[in-house]
Amino acid sequence: MAVVTAREAQDWLIEKIAHRMGVATGEVSPEVYFDELDLDSTEALILAGEMENWLGFELSTTTLWYHPTVKDLAAYIAEECGRRAATA
Amino acid sequence: MRPPRKGPPPVARAFRPAVPGGSTVYVVHPGALSVEVYEGLAGALPDGTGLTVLDLGAVPEYAEAALTGGRAATTVEDLAALLLAALERSRQENGAATDGSWTLAGWSFGGVLALAATRLMPAERRPGRLVVLDSIAPVEEYKQPDDALRPELLLSWFAMYLGAKRGRPVPLDLDRLAGCGTDDGLTAVLDAATASGALLPDTPLPGLRKLYDTYVDGLLRNNRLTAPHHPGTAPLPVTLVQPERSLVPADPTLGWRPLAPHGLTAHRCPGDHYTMLTRADSLGVIAPLLRAS
Repeated sequence: MAVVTAREAQDWLIEKIAHRMGVATGEVSPEVYFDELDLDSTEALILAGEMENWLGFELSTTTLWYHPTVKDLAAYIAEECGRRAATA
Repeated sequence: MRPPRKGPPPVARAFRPAVPGGSTVYVVHPGALSVEVYEGLAGALPDGTGLTVLDLGAVPEYAEAALTGGRAATTVEDLAALLLAALERSRQENGAATDGSWTLAGWSFGGVLALAATRLMPAERRPGRLVVLDSIAPVEEYKQPDDALRPELLLSWFAMYLGAKRGRPVPLDLDRLAGCGTDDGLTAVLDAATASGALLPDTPLPGLRKLYDTYVDGLLRNNRLTAPHHPGTAPLPVTLVQPERSLVPADPTLGWRPLAPHGLTAHRCPGDHYTMLTRADSLGVIAPLLRAS
């Protein structure tokens, strides 16, 4: 299981989203809501699978509901990594 | 953590209003494809005919089951009652006629729910016709345990689905899938999807695996909902439309005959299970069949 900081998670998400959208990383704001991005559900699930493979754990289906921006999700990922590392 | 920006979408989604006194087509949509796929059908219907989609993707206990292992905490009967309530609200809001001058249809698993909904309606409020679009009847011959869905069958359906989602066919070498496990088969799908441009060249296998698992869990969810369901017969004639590349191309009735004592009419259209909802030549077959009798 990877242990990542919020900044690392945010950079990872922005790099992957920018690549899938075909734009520069600077064009993806950490504050943007996921549903404002030009990602369809196929791309979103592929991205989720890639992220879970990177992190080494699954994200619950409600994660994006409660953490609907890149910045919020990155913070949650860092928190969850820390919690899992502490209990490992 | 912050609250989500949007609330849940409505179950009944109007794509086109009927003209005053005109009829409306209601279609039960079980997810998998975005509900927006019905924009093409709305445009293909006869002038003055309305289209409202009853979207199961807006029912959390159903939709979320595809993301949590494929077990929905609901039943066909409960879902049918929920859809019927949404349908009745929509009809009241639109001042629709209460007689049979309207049509109820269901695509895929939506056909099973459309049938169940007609059985909950008083006779005087039933639609003029029930149309099922490549829907497999909930009869015993099609109720199978989860492990009866072999990987090569699921992978061929998944490639069809992926092609429809991305707007580019994913031509799969079915010989390469023969005897294949899921992991090897997904590699074949990934190769075909990147070669056809349906997916970016560097799409990672774990990403595609997540999409596949969600797809299969959606199928299993529907299978598991159907297994304990004992359908009654349709209280009105049934029209079946089956595409060239149906989920079960070898069966021209998809099991509907014993459930249609008032008559079953079967039609063929171009396309596959998914593209039948968007291809102009397929909609040219389907739209006239949805016209209220």
